[in-house]
Amino acid sequence: MKLSAHYNKANIIITLSVLFAGAVIYFFAINYIAKNQLDRNLIEEIDGVKDYIKLNQQLPKQVDFDEDQVIFVKTDRQNLQRRFFDTIYNNPKERKKEAGRAVSCLISLNGNNYETTIIVSREDTEYLVQIIGFITLILSIGLLLILFLTNRYILTGLWKSFYATLNEIKAFNVSDTKNFRLKQSKVDEFSELNKAVHIMSSRVKNDFQHLKQFTENASHEMLTPLAVITSKLDTLIQDETLKNYQFDQINDIYAAAGRLARLNQSLLLLVKIENNLIEDAEQINLDILISEKLKQFHELIFSMNIQVEKNLQNKQVLASKYLMDILFNNLFSNAIRHNTKNGKLIITLTDDKLIFQNSGGSTPLNPDKVFERFQKGNKSEGTGLGLALVKNICTLNNWTISYYYDNILHTFQIAL
Amino acid sequence: MKLLIIEDEKGLRDNITSYFNDDGNICESCVDLAGATDKLSNYDYDCVLLDIGLPDGEGFVILDFLKKHMKNEAVIIISARNSLDDKIKGLNIGADDYLTKPFHLAELKARVASVYRRKAANSNNNLVFNEITINLPGRAVEINNIPLVLTRKEYDMLLYFIANKGKVIAKNAIAEHLWGDEMDMHDNFDFIYTHIKNLRKKLLDAKCTDYLKSIYGIGYKFKAQ
Repeated sequence: MKLSAHYNKANIIITLSVLFAGAVIYFFAINYIAKNQLDRNLIEEIDGVKDYIKLNQQLPKQVDFDEDQVIFVKTDRQNLQRRFFDTIYNNPKERKKEAGRAVSCLISLNGNNYETTIIVSREDTEYLVQIIGFITLILSIGLLLILFLTNRYILTGLWKSFYATLNEIKAFNVSDTKNFRLKQSKVDEFSELNKAVHIMSSRVKNDFQHLKQFTENASHEMLTPLAVITSKLDTLIQDETLKNYQFDQINDIYAAAGRLARLNQSLLLLVKIENNLIEDAEQINLDILISEKLKQFHELIFSMNIQVEKNLQNKQVLASKYLMDILFNNLFSNAIRHNTKNGKLIITLTDDKLIFQNSGGSTPLNPDKVFERFQKGNKSEGTGLGLALVKNICTLNNWTISYYYDNILHTFQIAL
Repeated sequence: MKLLIIEDEKGLRDNITSYFNDDGNICESCVDLAGATDKLSNYDYDCVLLDIGLPDGEGFVILDFLKKHMKNEAVIIISARNSLDDKIKGLNIGADDYLTKPFHLAELKARVASVYRRKAANSNNNLVFNEITINLPGRAVEINNIPLVLTRKEYDMLLYFIANKGKVIAKNAIAEHLWGDEMDMHDNFDFIYTHIKNLRKKLLDAKCTDYLKSIYGIGYKFKAQ
């Protein structure tokens, strides 16, 4: 939910409950005041009746009371507490029953006690309450509407610069050379945010440049000693008096040095791809490239007597030739390395799919882990970066790669 | 052939020098840009091996220097930086080849021989080694003036062996030369055995001397005589 929606929700709930509580209190207060007023009027009426009786020594007639109803009931009781109560008032003019308020008390005349009840209509006060209630309702609705519109339009306007900043952050690319574009905001918090983001982005870019420099330098520093090792070995083997077991040792050193060099190159490449630093996209015919690679790997395939089956449709993609070379080198060497003697390699290329299937170990690999760095089978002599490279190249091109084990074939499928 | 090696790493410099000197080449070396410009202003060389990362600056300066002074040395960049940009930059401003560290000395020697032949580009386009004559532009091989048909890989291999004649070459160096180092062969180079066997058989069938000698476990040697 958006911030403005959250805010609106809270705002409306609070406003509604305050308004509701207010309305309830208002209702009871007005009722109470109106009732008091009525009761005071009734006391005056009673006093009027008493004065009349004192003056005229007889009960007043109904006509003397305008529309108020007066009932005298002769009673034997000597004591009756004056009491007020709600009752029904019969409107003689409109001939209908209305809510009424009554008072009853004991009045004595000529030694007789009369229970006197005066009823007045409550219509007018109820009408007042209704009017007030109606006005309150209208005001509440108006207030809610105005609050809603204010939140909607003014808040959205205020947040505009925030969304502009957000979009800039989303589009932020650490390897981009161009700087963060800052939009001035009238809101202090947002200008501060912009400033902070600006400072952060330049610092990140700076760090990234340093890191890049560092990686390059580190690679340089590591490859030079490796070059020394290799050249020393190349010189060492010129000595033909070396024993066979010494040659075996040298072979192992060669292998380790080679692996280290490949590891280093792969790591550098991985960093480069992740930072999208290779941009030399061109149209590439995948079917032609695959056929070329098959030729390149022919000797390896032949030496393991692997049966190759290829179903290639014409398919063009826009990608870096350099990265495509690496992609296929890794896919092929993977499919050959983990294959068995007299095994199988099936390559399928359709308009939207590229599938490499190879025979090999009888246990499926873990599809979640197979593309992670340094995940390799215990018998693998590789760097453990090959499939991570493949995955990264696919991601860079917005392709998805998946692994599954299907009918004794290890399958790598790329959705182009 | 007269070579100048510009490389600040002593171990590497010494090995390159000794590897090339064995073949009757004259190798001189220096460790930085200052020494290199000094030598290049005073002497002519056939080939310059140039490291990019030098203590007093980038090796590209040397390429500019050579261009400015209209010097004709063949230049091979040997760099630890396997960056496409550097490669393109180097080749654009006059380098003849670009070799990424680590490399095999045999590979370096083959590259030097190749750029030297290209630079020399004299009337003689033939590479002659005893009874073997190789017509370089036509990629044709003759043994005792009788044509010998070789596959592309066998031809490349023969050229590589002749460039490194008298040297023991490791199997992985041969494999990397022929199949490229980006092809991860997981240190299983046995498959090249078949190719060398085929080449040797073709040469022997053509009444060529048996130059190819297998060195136990490690590689092969193309005898110099």
